[in-house]
Amino acid sequence: MTCKKIFEVKDLSKSFGKLEVLKNINESIYEAEVVCIIGPSGSGKSTFLRCLNLLEKPTSGKVFFEDVDISDKSIKINKYRQKIGMVFQSFNVFPHLTVLENITLTPVLEKKVSKEDAKNDAFELLKRVGLFDKRDEYPTRLSGGQKQRLAIVRALAMKPDVMLFDEPTSALDPEMVKEVLEVIKDLAKSNMTIVIVTHEMGFAREVSDRILFMDEGIIAEQGTPSEIFDNPQNERTIEFLGKVL
Amino acid sequence: MVETVIDLWTKYDYVYINGLLGTIYLAAITVFIATIIGTVIAIMKLSEIKIFDFITALYIGVLRGTPILLQLYFFWLVLPKITPFELSDTVCIVIALIVNASAYVAEIIRAGIQAVDKGQTEAAKSLGLSDANTMKKIILPQAIKNILPALGNEYITMIKQTSLASVFFVGELMTSYKTVQSATFLAVPSLVIVGIIYLIITTILSKGLNIFERRLRLNDM
Repeated sequence: MTCKKIFEVKDLSKSFGKLEVLKNINESIYEAEVVCIIGPSGSGKSTFLRCLNLLEKPTSGKVFFEDVDISDKSIKINKYRQKIGMVFQSFNVFPHLTVLENITLTPVLEKKVSKEDAKNDAFELLKRVGLFDKRDEYPTRLSGGQKQRLAIVRALAMKPDVMLFDEPTSALDPEMVKEVLEVIKDLAKSNMTIVIVTHEMGFAREVSDRILFMDEGIIAEQGTPSEIFDNPQNERTIEFLGKVL
Repeated sequence: MVETVIDLWTKYDYVYINGLLGTIYLAAITVFIATIIGTVIAIMKLSEIKIFDFITALYIGVLRGTPILLQLYFFWLVLPKITPFELSDTVCIVIALIVNASAYVAEIIRAGIQAVDKGQTEAAKSLGLSDANTMKKIILPQAIKNILPALGNEYITMIKQTSLASVFFVGELMTSYKTVQSATFLAVPSLVIVGIIYLIITTILSKGLNIFERRLRLNDM
């Protein structure tokens, strides 16, 4: 593993009103690493992930992306977000745009890629996830699994340095979970840096380089998949894994 | 009765038609300018700037919380006193109608924009779209489908509300009723004529709106 840090989080805290969701977190994500974040609901996993691209503003602490403090208020955050892909639980594809337009919109508008190049890139990506035939459809015609695959390639079209996945399969029907996980696995093999919040323990074990177990706003334990799943040390980790495995 | 109505129409049709033109004129100006001002207010309200939020909440609160007739009187009395130049009654009333309508338009636009799923904004931001492009390319095209039908209904309401200008004898349809009534002492037949004209306009507009809404929904399929 290389040592280049993609993300570095320093003393990160986040509160919603009186509720303290993240408590003084210090953590780094390294290049080409696949990190899965697991833990009970309400433990702050999603909030932590959303702090990485500043969809949630930290209450205190700093977030560095490739050595730039992106939590600095004077920074143009959308320039950095272009390099940080994100996939949501609820897909959030754009319903008023076709599959192709969903993908090409941002590269053309924000990266000034020519329409022709954007379209060719999009075709490549759509072929990769088996959606090429659907390129001119509107998302209402797609199944949940297809929408999520579209959301993934829409993010990839920006050629990001890292991909964040926020429970990407939680809103899917069981038979569609696999097709989405396959796409993420392929991505992991291509050396993409990936951070995933997930409840799919089997998948987390298979794909991760490192697992973070979060509980009550802190990273309670972390390690390789076999350390976490076969030999957990923290009492809360043991309790949690006992319930879900 | 039917005969009286027909007689009255044959004799005074030009009065009613002038009134109708007045109504259309008042409604068109009100709709046009109120939509522009309402949009600006909605954008101010949606911005995260606290002072804007306070001002717009006050503006909308006062205008929606007091009777429109009171507002017409207020503008009619106050505007001529605070402006250095001459203002006709018509201008005062038009301004009052615009100000009142802008508050309703602002609420319709704000609600339409806020009804777009928050996930859409988050997805757009996470891709790195600028705030302006997020609004222009993602939010507004979806919000417009919520906004237009509601706005159409509001326009129809505005047309009916211009009738309040007759209180100040500003030329429009309801004032035509008064003119003919005071010349002939025939109140009910004159009311019936004016009522029918209003009904024709509003029916045409509602039907048009229905067709338009169906088109919008078809595009969703």
